[in-house]
Amino acid sequence: MKNPYCPIKAEITDIIDETPTIKTFVLKPEEPVSFKTGQFVELAVPGLGEAPFTPSSNPKMEDRIELTIMNVGNVTSRLHQMKRGEILGIRGPYGKGYPLKDFEGKEILIVGGGVGLAPLRSLVLALLNDIDRYKKVVIKYGARSPKDIVYKSELKKWTVNKNVELELTVDAGDSSWKGNVGLITMLLKRDMGVDIEKSVAIVCGPPIMMKFTTFKLVELGYEDKNMHLSMENNMSCGIGKCGHCRIGPYYACKDGPVFTYDKIKTYHTIWE
Amino acid sequence: MEQKFLKKGNLEKFVNAIAEVYDLYYIQKGKGDKLHIVKYLNELKNPVIGEVRPLEPLKNFFFYAREKVVGGYEKSGEVKDIEGKPLCILGMKNCDLSAFDILDYVFTQGDFKDPFYIRNRGCNLIIAADCTKAIDTCFCHALGRKHYPEGYYDILMSELHDGYLVEGKTEKGNKFLDKNEALLNKTTQKHIEERDHIRKHAGIGVEENIREHKMPQYTEYKDIIKENLESEIWKREAETCVECGSCNVICPTCHCFYLVDVSQKDDKELRYKIWDSCMYKRFARVAGGANPRSRLWMRLRNRFEKKFDFFPEINGYYACTGCGRCISGCPAKIDIRRVLKDLVAEKKAKVK
Repeated sequence: MKNPYCPIKAEITDIIDETPTIKTFVLKPEEPVSFKTGQFVELAVPGLGEAPFTPSSNPKMEDRIELTIMNVGNVTSRLHQMKRGEILGIRGPYGKGYPLKDFEGKEILIVGGGVGLAPLRSLVLALLNDIDRYKKVVIKYGARSPKDIVYKSELKKWTVNKNVELELTVDAGDSSWKGNVGLITMLLKRDMGVDIEKSVAIVCGPPIMMKFTTFKLVELGYEDKNMHLSMENNMSCGIGKCGHCRIGPYYACKDGPVFTYDKIKTYHTIWE
Repeated sequence: MEQKFLKKGNLEKFVNAIAEVYDLYYIQKGKGDKLHIVKYLNELKNPVIGEVRPLEPLKNFFFYAREKVVGGYEKSGEVKDIEGKPLCILGMKNCDLSAFDILDYVFTQGDFKDPFYIRNRGCNLIIAADCTKAIDTCFCHALGRKHYPEGYYDILMSELHDGYLVEGKTEKGNKFLDKNEALLNKTTQKHIEERDHIRKHAGIGVEENIREHKMPQYTEYKDIIKENLESEIWKREAETCVECGSCNVICPTCHCFYLVDVSQKDDKELRYKIWDSCMYKRFARVAGGANPRSRLWMRLRNRFEKKFDFFPEINGYYACTGCGRCISGCPAKIDIRRVLKDLVAEKKAKVK
């Protein structure tokens, strides 16, 4: 019987510095890990530990997988010290992924905060693969400061396609920053470029940003079932056995990690 | 298979026959009359077939407290068969057996299965036994469970004053009994009557406990957590909790674990699956520090939510079998019967 707890080896083939605290790791697993955008993998630093990450790369890319990782914990701080050629463990993909079929023919509002743009980058690239299927993609992204913006050189490329719009904001600017200054919720308003009734919203970011973005979208008139939220829970085994990531009757790892708001809004601890 | 009678004098021989084929564990009465599961080493010492459940839950044998699950990252990642003899556990009671309603569901159902549990569960002989009495923490009936085995066993033994009624349930169990037919005698109507009498009296003991503690029946548990999310009950009960996790380790249905990666000299890709406790602060915490259950009372509430809300909703069973171990194991004297009683009462008061 196959052992679901056993990773396969993955070599770090490249490391891209995104911000002072965020790096993108390009990995070459010993056999392809094909995922649907929004699904996650468990990444292990051998002998140290494992943590869940949603790939930030195009799901179409077969032999490589990219993970954009912020240095916040035990596993990630060690990852940030690692170099090209080193070996990690990877298993997955797990979870449900974004229901791209449901997005077809619709306007798509994507709201990202900080390193939360990582899974959304994968989503944007997946949407760009078949952009004609979607009416419009509007991206709102907020970072703490200009130097905390991820994928700086790539963001402009997304908007080459006329169906894709992008607006940025930073919590605090600097001398060179000429863009918006303020929280992400500032960019969310009735005239933000999407027809709210005919669109879906996809949100990923730190817990506090998720909370206020969700409330703002509700206020703007988004129906709960049209809001796809990435829930950050302690997904340890990834396969619905270990018990850590429970939200009400669900496990984030197997029923999520992306949930529509109607499914989870009644469970009391989602915003803690 | 038809019932047989095993004389007390033949127990040792019967056990020897088991031990020839299986690695045998049985219940032993130790110091202070405490019942423990022990390994059989050529002779039975103070064996207990009837009475009640031992201190240790049965889950240990299938869902190990600590199990190596990775010994090196590999593409095939196959789980190897157990080496040596299969396992036989003698004298298991229904509060442990009915926990398989939960454990089997968790580890053997769904898109992903746990091959370690499946392997451990597959190669064994479970010999169940009736409870012949109740101790003061027994409350299985409140959960709709019986004090004698209802399933999940190969052979059933019901202790009588001079022997045991023995009955095979599975093919594996029947085969074993057929092979050892020479040790068994015919049963008489008297044996059956004696068993029924013992069952009845043990049952009365459980009922008396439930009455004494004014415990509500499981039919009244619906939404007792949902309706009492912010109840003072949680804060009151959590006040004395020391987060030791005893209630989790001795619970026959608690199944949470964490994966721990360790590095040894030449082995850098080791991973263990180790029992976890939802009462620990770090249980639900994510990297960066956010914690959906940062307060102790929230974790206590979570424990009840998982048992009395989550499992009934997803698989139709309460994840409590009424074994009462958490009552005697808790150094803070948190009594699950009191918590359930108060939750039901508070819900009723609200609805009125």
